[in-house]
Amino acid sequence: MGEQILALLSQYGSPVLFAAVLVASVGVPLPITLLLVVTGSLVSQGAMRFWAVVVLAVAGSVIGDQIGYAIGRWGGAKLVTRFSAFLGGPARLDQVEAKARHYGAPGVFFSRWLVSPLGPWVNLATGIAGYSWLHFLVWDVLGESLDAFIFVALGRTFSDRVLELDAVTGNVTWTLVALLVTVLLGWKLFSYVRKKS
Amino acid sequence: MAFVVAIAGTFVFGFRAGRYARHLRWENEPIRPWMSVPFIAHTHHVPPDVLFRAIGLPPYEHDRRPMRAIARAEHRPVDELVRDIEKALADAGHTHPSLAPPKGP
Repeated sequence: MGEQILALLSQYGSPVLFAAVLVASVGVPLPITLLLVVTGSLVSQGAMRFWAVVVLAVAGSVIGDQIGYAIGRWGGAKLVTRFSAFLGGPARLDQVEAKARHYGAPGVFFSRWLVSPLGPWVNLATGIAGYSWLHFLVWDVLGESLDAFIFVALGRTFSDRVLELDAVTGNVTWTLVALLVTVLLGWKLFSYVRKKS
Repeated sequence: MAFVVAIAGTFVFGFRAGRYARHLRWENEPIRPWMSVPFIAHTHHVPPDVLFRAIGLPPYEHDRRPMRAIARAEHRPVDELVRDIEKALADAGHTHPSLAPPKGP
């Protein structure tokens, strides 16, 4: 599916970019970083305009994120029950809701561009937690703007090395995700050991 | 256990990121069926008309069809078109990953 989207982007440009970032933000697994980097390369080749594609990419991803948030917030009791079962029960859901309210801003902002694989989950979780929609929107627009700017600019700079660049950025992102998980689990383990002793 | 997996993941992905970053300026971009002829020409620094002629098409820089769509329209296997492009690049003096001799251990 990724190759087909890239082929369509090559041929039709902006409308494909807009549609792809929108559905990926809702949670459909698409190679969005590669798509943005290839878009940057197309900008460098004169086939697309830099600011136009940045604005379009931001608009598409923000709309997709709002859909994810809305599903979480107004998706109904069934979704909340399923999500709370996934987390370990209603009590655990209350804890997650409190944390989402407390860490909502950095959570939304960094999951747009630095640890983007977590983005769709954060949309859903902040919606379920009832995090302020206005705050979500502001941090979402800021994060997505940075994401689109960084990757389109990188693609424009390294326009003749898009696949290698995508391999680097993809592995850096997963390194950060793994590091984040390591720190969280390490902290939990440390707290548990300290409590026991 | 999850903690150990997370540490291992950090090192594996970090190592891979470093390896790809080292190759960023040294290897030519591989050719994929989603790429258009002008895109391949740009990534290999050759004029597009050289590649259009190599696959038997009239040079037209606004033809942004991917290789796969060209293959379908021309009733030719996409691998054959990719081979023709690679040969034209090699003739133009470019070393392509799939044409380069295998690296030693």
